[in-house]
Amino acid sequence: MCGVNGIYAYRTAASAPSQAELIATRDAMAARGPDGVGEWWSAERRCAFGHRRLAIQDPHPRANQPMVSDDGRYVITFNGQIYNHPALKAELEARGVRYRTTCDTETLLHLYALKGPDMVRDLRGMFAFAIWDAARQGMFLARDAYGIKPIYTCDDGWTFRFASQVKALLAGGAVSRDPEPAGIVGFHLFGSVPEPFSLYRDIRALPAGHSQWVDAAGPEQPKRYVSLASILAEGAARPSPAAELEARVKAAAGESVAAHLLSDVEVGVFLSAGVDSGALLGLMRDAGASDIRAITLAFEEYRGTPEDEAPLAAEAAARYGARHEVHRVGQAEFNADLPAILEAMDQPSIDGVNTWFVAKAARQAGLKVALSGLGGDELLAGYPSFSDLPTWRRRYGLLARTPGLGRLARLTLQGVAPGLLRERPKAAGMLEYAGSWGGAYLLRRGLFLPHELARLMDPDAAREGLRRLGLMRRLAAALAPDPGSDVGRVCALESSFYMKSQLLRDADWAGLAHSVEIRPPLVDIALLRNLAPVLPGLRPGAGKRALGAAPKVALPEAITARAKTGFTVPTGAWMATAGRSNVAGEPVRKGAASRGWSQLVFSGLRPPQQSLAA
Amino acid sequence: MLALVGHAFGASGGIAQYNRDFLGGLVASGLVSDIEILPRHGPRTVETPPKIVQHGPRFAPALYAAGAIAKALTASFDLVFCGHLYMAPLAAIVARLGRAKLVIQTHGIEAWPQPTRLQRAAVERADLVLSVSRYTRAKVLSWASMAPEKVAVLPDTVGEAFTPGDGSALRAKWGLTGKRVLLTVGRMDGRERYKGHDRTIRALPALIQRWPGVTYVVLGEGDDLARLQALAKDEGVDDHVKFMGPVDEATLIDAYRMADVFVMPSTGEGFGIAYLEAMACGTPAIGLDAAGARDAFADGRLSLLATESGLLDRLRELLNEPKPDPEALASAVRQSFGKPVFVAEQKRLFDRLHGCASTGRR
Repeated sequence: MCGVNGIYAYRTAASAPSQAELIATRDAMAARGPDGVGEWWSAERRCAFGHRRLAIQDPHPRANQPMVSDDGRYVITFNGQIYNHPALKAELEARGVRYRTTCDTETLLHLYALKGPDMVRDLRGMFAFAIWDAARQGMFLARDAYGIKPIYTCDDGWTFRFASQVKALLAGGAVSRDPEPAGIVGFHLFGSVPEPFSLYRDIRALPAGHSQWVDAAGPEQPKRYVSLASILAEGAARPSPAAELEARVKAAAGESVAAHLLSDVEVGVFLSAGVDSGALLGLMRDAGASDIRAITLAFEEYRGTPEDEAPLAAEAAARYGARHEVHRVGQAEFNADLPAILEAMDQPSIDGVNTWFVAKAARQAGLKVALSGLGGDELLAGYPSFSDLPTWRRRYGLLARTPGLGRLARLTLQGVAPGLLRERPKAAGMLEYAGSWGGAYLLRRGLFLPHELARLMDPDAAREGLRRLGLMRRLAAALAPDPGSDVGRVCALESSFYMKSQLLRDADWAGLAHSVEIRPPLVDIALLRNLAPVLPGLRPGAGKRALGAAPKVALPEAITARAKTGFTVPTGAWMATAGRSNVAGEPVRKGAASRGWSQLVFSGLRPPQQSLAA
Repeated sequence: MLALVGHAFGASGGIAQYNRDFLGGLVASGLVSDIEILPRHGPRTVETPPKIVQHGPRFAPALYAAGAIAKALTASFDLVFCGHLYMAPLAAIVARLGRAKLVIQTHGIEAWPQPTRLQRAAVERADLVLSVSRYTRAKVLSWASMAPEKVAVLPDTVGEAFTPGDGSALRAKWGLTGKRVLLTVGRMDGRERYKGHDRTIRALPALIQRWPGVTYVVLGEGDDLARLQALAKDEGVDDHVKFMGPVDEATLIDAYRMADVFVMPSTGEGFGIAYLEAMACGTPAIGLDAAGARDAFADGRLSLLATESGLLDRLRELLNEPKPDPEALASAVRQSFGKPVFVAEQKRLFDRLHGCASTGRR
């Protein structure tokens, strides 16, 4: 895994890219790639790429980047892993392509030379890359379907820039820090900044599943080449019998885990006491991995209590013959790491702390790559949202679709029972939001509802931010085309919002802060295609049960039984403490524990306030 | 193409000049076959390049709108060009009625603050918004919620007539022979007052100590003239300031050539075409590091930008040195902002606009 960046002065009047800026941006991502470093300049010096390498496939310096094609026409700077690289390589070699490395980076170069932009459809993996085409004098950028790997772009009208991290772009010194109200509002609503926005107006994420072309006419609008909603819809159109669930999960999850083991360095696993990571470990063993190292994060506070995950994780490790390493973290370590956490956090997030510590432990154990069970709940209906959203829609949807009724109810409550409205705003919001899937999702995942924003920020900025965010439109867009089933709809929403803008982004910055690549085999386009036909008929709990039963040697029963109650982590309390106090007069409720934290991270990362007023 | 503009052919000022360059470029490079211009201001009849027709002006807004809508219903066109933000709502309606693509041009201060809701809505549904500078583009994107890729920068271009040459005859005529000459060209607008005439006048006493004959020539007109004249008197420099009013293009070019320094410490330039004209005539320019001027100075590659407090130092610096090689400066200006560059970039933008027909409006 790596850090990429580039500068392209596409307008005639624009100054040539500055080497100092290129290097400053690149080296702000030093932790993403400690193993190799490179820069490349086009012949006319109008375009430059930078790269920091975490060497995993073909670790030899011959595979360092930016990598130039033999004929000099194409240059790539790439962050990620292409899991079907062996198959693509075989196919390309059969067509007469000669390789000079064994690295997936080279596959991308050859594939682009052969197919042009359409090549992205052939890729399975997590990736964000840019390819310069000297013949066409333009640049092609692409990002994986789920948005596992980030890439941020910035266009000022003369010069186009990109980098793996927002903070790296800012470190170059040439990018405006003017605020983006939509990003700020989105953070207050969800606890993470929803894509494509960042906190800064001029910095945007290239959306997941999109590619973009940039040439002398400037950047084209990003084009979507794959969508989770359509994969789900295709699955729902040809549903499989529920009886096939276990066999399908077994085959598809096993195949995905095997694909995710592609590496020239050791691949470990983050092991909790949950079903997802335990099943991954079992499937790793089934795929032929031996002597697997499993890293478990445990908490001093829970030592010897039923909340301690270490004993159950140890049971799983023992069952699959893994070398188990437990890292115990306490509040003292959290406090000591806090400045570094805030420094590494690319955009404000109310989470990511657990990932920080488990990645730290992996690094200390000498691991560079670890599988993670991230995404299991989104794919296999593990969240309460999978039952809540359909229920709310049934119960309140009709009333909520009556124009004006929800708002009327809220305003009435404001008059007669303001206390209720303040303490249970979501209950009061049912009539306003449960009318659409997107609205119901906002009720489920939102820390606050839009009408509460005026208490958190300047009301004008809140109004403007909501307008720019276009939340309901964006939520609806995640469901186009209609995924065709309740499970599919919630899966699309959870994957496109909470997982993409929160979990995956946290896994990226918190993992790579320790130079550890986190691979989520349950977040995989091929796996989704395989399981989409069984998702519509998924009963509550059945998905996770199937995953638990997927390894040849089943998970310990203690883990599958325990999965129903779940675990708590103390990091929320630490974060709340670190965030000093809550907003004065604010009642404590769900989400409020993270309020102090969100204030803390936001105050550290937000753009200067005065330009907000400008 | 149908062009709704404030003014274009037969009018003076930076925006009219831009409109002429823009519309002329479109026809010359074959990007549009012909253009009908509906101006609000300008002469009744005017000479235009081939394939461009400019109708008589209609100043009254209702009358103008009626004319534009009548055109939309009767004429056939596939592009509507809107030359000024205040006409954007009308242009959006005309484009919709004519099922044409909408291109909206933004210049400077008119596009910086939040516009009216109707104007904003028109911009947000445009197929292409053009800004003359990165600064104006950033301002548009701060109030418009739209794909940033739809807002492109097309900088001003400098006319072919603006070249280095001998300005000594004009110097002699205006009694400036042997003197150090500062020059500003621009409207003196009593409401806006951003061009920085005041700042230059206030810098004169210090300059006079070092160069007793130094003279500040001000070209242009405007309702702020009397106030500036009074200011020069107050500062005791009225002998050193010459307000020469508006001049024809030949005189303007000679004025640029004969000046030692072109100075316009403005805080409100959308781009600042006068900087380009001065530098294309080989005269070094001074502008503030603010708004669109950064673009006209190509981030300081053409000439250094000054801070407000550093203006006097910068003036002294330039007056101290002999005038640098005019040809070198002029050629650097053309390399970034010459007509061929403008036409090539305009062509790229319109090729892209035509290319993505399916992702057009709505």
